[in-house]
Amino acid sequence: MSLVVGVDIGNSTTEACAAEIGEDGQVTYLSAALGRTSGVKGTTANVPGVVEVVRGALAAAGRDPADVQAVLVNEATPVISGLAMETITETIITESTMIGHNPDTPGGVGLGVGTTVAFAELPGCAPDDAVICVAGAGTDFEDVAAGINAATARGVRVAGAVVRADDANLIVNRLREPIPVVDEVTLVDRVPLGMPAAVEVAEQGRTIRTLSNSYGIATVFGLDPDQTRLIAPVARALVGNRSAVVVRTPAGDITDRRIAAGGLTLIGERAKRSVDMDAGAEEIMETLRRVQPLVDADGEPGTHVGGMLARVRDTMADLTAMPRDAVRIQDVLAVDTFVPQRVTGGLAGEFALENAVALAAMVRTSKGPMELLAARLREALGTEVLIGGVEADMALLGALTTPGTAKPVAILDLGGGSTDAAVAMEDAEVRSVHLAGAGDLVTSLIDSELGLESRELAEEIKKFPLAKAESFFHIRMEDGTVRFFDEPLPAEAFARVVVLADAGMQPIRTRHGVEKIRQVRRSAKRRVFVTNALRALEQVAPAGDIRRIGFLVVLGGAALDFEIPDMIAEAVSEFGIVSGTGNVRGCEGPRNAVATGLVARHASARATCAAVRCG
Amino acid sequence: MDREPHSGRAAESGPGPTGRNRPAVVVLCRPGNLHCLRELGAGMEEEGVPFRTEDATGGSAVELAFAAAQASNLDVGVGVDDAGSVCVHHAKLPPDMPALAGRAADARTLGHNAARLVVGIPFKDAPVRTGQ
Ligand SMILES: Nc1ncnc2c1ncn2[C@@H]1O[C@H](COP(=O)(O)OP(=O)(O)O)[C@@H](O)[C@H]1O
Ligand SMILES: [Mg+2]
Repeated sequence: MSLVVGVDIGNSTTEACAAEIGEDGQVTYLSAALGRTSGVKGTTANVPGVVEVVRGALAAAGRDPADVQAVLVNEATPVISGLAMETITETIITESTMIGHNPDTPGGVGLGVGTTVAFAELPGCAPDDAVICVAGAGTDFEDVAAGINAATARGVRVAGAVVRADDANLIVNRLREPIPVVDEVTLVDRVPLGMPAAVEVAEQGRTIRTLSNSYGIATVFGLDPDQTRLIAPVARALVGNRSAVVVRTPAGDITDRRIAAGGLTLIGERAKRSVDMDAGAEEIMETLRRVQPLVDADGEPGTHVGGMLARVRDTMADLTAMPRDAVRIQDVLAVDTFVPQRVTGGLAGEFALENAVALAAMVRTSKGPMELLAARLREALGTEVLIGGVEADMALLGALTTPGTAKPVAILDLGGGSTDAAVAMEDAEVRSVHLAGAGDLVTSLIDSELGLESRELAEEIKKFPLAKAESFFHIRMEDGTVRFFDEPLPAEAFARVVVLADAGMQPIRTRHGVEKIRQVRRSAKRRVFVTNALRALEQVAPAGDIRRIGFLVVLGGAALDFEIPDMIAEAVSEFGIVSGTGNVRGCEGPRNAVATGLVARHASARATCAAVRCG
Repeated sequence: MDREPHSGRAAESGPGPTGRNRPAVVVLCRPGNLHCLRELGAGMEEEGVPFRTEDATGGSAVELAFAAAQASNLDVGVGVDDAGSVCVHHAKLPPDMPALAGRAADARTLGHNAARLVVGIPFKDAPVRTGQ
């Protein structure tokens, strides 16, 4: 009997599998463990992470580290992946022409048109002047209401108001004649005075009709066709709001500009093509298909993508002591996305959804300092360390311990930085690919599309279902079912969308509803993993024919996801193959395939027959 | 318009079956805290939620708020004590676990939030003050 530990060093996670191997090659699996990979995969920085999981697996098995005969490590090759986002549209308001924010409680109803005048100047307005009153910070609602009432009594037509505080209804409730009032305008001091303006507030449950319509604005301000063309983006930006203000300044302009996002050059074995980032993901991926297999890629210097590709290259060059220009980008994945961005020149912190393209790229090398890593591990563990077989082969071996599988089998390994696939036909050798874009990209898309500015929260939203706290004692889950609590929920969660993470319920402090967050989450997963699953399988399947794969086993951290495996199963269902989430050794789920494969291979090398039993 | 400005918004205070049966947030306040009351009322009025005010004889803000929530047919009450502590409570919460607690200086926000407790929308943050 000999005690061995198989260790799989992944980009994000290091996994181990402890087992006892008999003289006849019979394997008794004892335990599994996992931990975060320390440093870049395939480098000596991995040592502490490996030591930890090896100890963890042995502790779980109740075995003494001194009894270990050998630690089996996969041929871990460094993989560096990078992510960049290129925004391709931009909304700029020059001379502040609109207030497009959506306060919770605007006051009054209807449309008011007049010249903007500071609240303090109301007494100076002449009877019959049509004005929009602008009240800054520190003015009390009673004073504002009294001032407007006094002006109205003199015959001044106060048609609407724009105020700093959250007191639109307080003001309107005290007016003899109600007018539309937009409140909570943070930068009210920047509203240009003495300019024609319109204030519109819709009834509760409705959205504005006039200022969200180009011809509505043209009618209000008497615009000619050229001026109407200029104002059209304002109308578009206001669609869906319950309230809005538009100020017409002489040189005022709002532009909806396309930013030159730079080009991406894709170099294939036979062809080389360039594509502009702002052409969008579909065009970029189509260009990639035309040059495939990809040999290298380059981005325009000075752009985000150019910078990211250069960074990926530099990191790999430093790591492997390869010359910088010998490092090749092996794959890219472009994904269309949108990012909420603060409108330049907005008056109330308005955000506009801008189009963007996210690009994931990766390099992989076979020149990892594996021997050095093995030597360091030998020192740290005090045992024999053997470098095992190729990762894809090991993953296939491990995957085949899933009950109900047989060759021809394919695996899809959904990791953090890359999506890997391999296929083993009955006799032919193993083919594998490594594609850019995986769990980390999904997290980034969720983070930026929801404007969370927190990767931790985005990661939780990715992994766990949503709910809405409907009272202090119950939440409604995203599928409509209700869960009750004995202890009252915290006030921060009240009426908010929450994510039901392992660590507890976490409120999501945005205005997005459950449906919106769910839709962003699911679409991010689809854009990355369904796209990559099909791309990967096409590349490894014999003659590109996915139908010839018998069994597809989905592995890796992201295979633990509560919806990704279903999305993939649905996408491959048309090919008539058996597809499902792996269950390594009948008990480990989609984890531990490579570590298990290493042990199985080691055992079968010692004997011809290896019986597999789950311990 | 023939109506008096700003009448009829907040439910009338004082006894009488009409006053007490109307759906309203109840504010129990030690007499004399007029500014705090005005701000609490302003917050609730802006959110469009009716309220009524009653004088309290004694007790902490938490106790007053819980009693107020019990008296409210919207299940939401606000208590203000002599020391200027303000508390927002819900009738279904345990007595010693108020929904929100703060100082008189935050009364406007607490008024908004008492109303939001009724309406069922997330609470507003108290404005960040520098110093104490
Ligand atoms: N329970 C889970 N649900 C969904 N995704 C998960 C879960 N656990 C881990 N992940 C995701 O899996 C990815 C890491 O996968 P892993 O297989 O550990 O990576 P690697 O093989 O590159 O080391 C991360 O993107 C992480 O967010
Ligand atoms: Mg308001």
